[in-house]
Amino acid sequence: MGPRRVDQDLSTDRQLIRRMLAGDEQAYETFFNAYFPRVYRFALPRLNGDVEATRDVVQATLAKAMRKMADFRGESGLFTWVCQICRREAVDYIRARRRHTRNVVLIDDLPDVRRAIDTIEAPEEYDLVRSHGRAEVGRLVRSVLDRLPSNYGDALEWKYMEGRSVEEIGQRLGIGTTAAQSLLARARTAFREALEQVFGADAADIAGSLGA
Amino acid sequence: MHEHDIERVLKAAGPREKPPAEIERELRESLRHEWRAVVTERRGRRRTAYALAAGVMAAAIGAWIAVPQFTAPVQEVGTIAQSFGDLRVRSGWLGRWQEAGDGRSVATGEVLATGPAGRGALALAGGISARLDQSTQLRVAAADRLIIDRGAVYVDAGADSASAAPLEIVTPAGSVRHLGTQYEVRVSNSGVRLRVREGRIEWSSGAGSAMGVAGEELTIAEDGRIGRGAVASHGEAWDWVVQAAPAIDIEGLSLAGFLGWAARELGCSIEFSSAGVAQEAAAVILHGSVAGLAPAQALEAVFTTTRMQAVVANGRIVVTGRDAPAQHD
Repeated sequence: MGPRRVDQDLSTDRQLIRRMLAGDEQAYETFFNAYFPRVYRFALPRLNGDVEATRDVVQATLAKAMRKMADFRGESGLFTWVCQICRREAVDYIRARRRHTRNVVLIDDLPDVRRAIDTIEAPEEYDLVRSHGRAEVGRLVRSVLDRLPSNYGDALEWKYMEGRSVEEIGQRLGIGTTAAQSLLARARTAFREALEQVFGADAADIAGSLGA
Repeated sequence: MHEHDIERVLKAAGPREKPPAEIERELRESLRHEWRAVVTERRGRRRTAYALAAGVMAAAIGAWIAVPQFTAPVQEVGTIAQSFGDLRVRSGWLGRWQEAGDGRSVATGEVLATGPAGRGALALAGGISARLDQSTQLRVAAADRLIIDRGAVYVDAGADSASAAPLEIVTPAGSVRHLGTQYEVRVSNSGVRLRVREGRIEWSSGAGSAMGVAGEELTIAEDGRIGRGAVASHGEAWDWVVQAAPAIDIEGLSLAGFLGWAARELGCSIEFSSAGVAQEAAAVILHGSVAGLAPAQALEAVFTTTRMQAVVANGRIVVTGRDAPAQHD
């Protein structure tokens, strides 16, 4: 299976960047709403759950991303690119403060998993469910949600975890009911494909592995 | 995998963590400021590029005639004593931003900027320490002239007012000159705020001039009106300044000298419990390093190696013998 991208659509990324660099306030709000929570969740476990450190690193990451936005070439998705900046900022932060004596290596940072999650390219013969605990696998599923285009992750959460109706989801996203229905269908497909590529053959049984 | 499988996986994995609302609010605003600065800077560069293109012929002719007479040589005015997080520098408006590390020289024509999580300390000629708060942009116009575009700068011109080197801080609304002092200049959308920690400053603008003395806070509104308030020399108002304090080299320094530095950074006076303790502080010579420690931490670290103790409270550093109880108010 060749690599498939389920990261943000590049044309949308570029459009958002163009609007931001042109000074569009709404574009800034869209960027912040889409990226702040996801980058926060990306940074938090890498900084041992230190909220203060995470705030500083996320702030530095997003500031740097905005400054370098004009240089974004779209070789990866925007979120993947921002995560690369975040990794470097977290390492610099830890080095500068020497706050964390324990080197945090997450399941996401293992080379095979990182490649898979960055490009949603399946690692062959890698059994995540048996190699890692339930909590880590649950966290990885949530990371996969974060890697989907932001509306997809939110829509899936609202629908299946909060039990919101399609109408409500449409209202939240500022789109009609039919468009929301269509977006949910695309979100399910993207999520299913992402799970299959990260968890391989275990994807079908991932709910069972998580104790559901 | 069917729809109900997706629902089971999502429910089993649990909801994604939501960042604290307070942090979200804070970062939304600070990053908005950063984003606006990026947009403004890009527009400025474009305007500059268009202006350059349009005026290239005239500039070439003008330069041919005038450059020999008017070119001001770039002058080194100091160094970056310490950077904390994101501190960048570029040469003029057309240069590219570069990360600025400790020890880098700073020259006229350069622009320094800190990000929302960055700060920096400059060591300028004449022993002046200038510190940049978060989200600050400062232009080096001359050895004795800095232009603040946004954010805040703190100046420590030394304790001796008679020998303090001159420095002018230019804001969009006017400029500040010190008369041997420690002070902060903060530029915001609503105007300029000056806080005088020690000594005196002189504010000048098209509307006139005004003096500010230690313990005073001056706010200059957009229409030039000046308001006055009080500010203590120590405490929260100066937290960022303390955090951006460059490290001190204590090797070979007397404990009394180190105390003088700590007191100046913390905005405190020093009180010795007895003449004997004061003499001992003058006699103790320090060895080692307190690099990476903030002034209060450095104070604690240094005093654990002596027979004395120091307690910081209410704007005072009280130094006593190890056996004597330190006095608190």
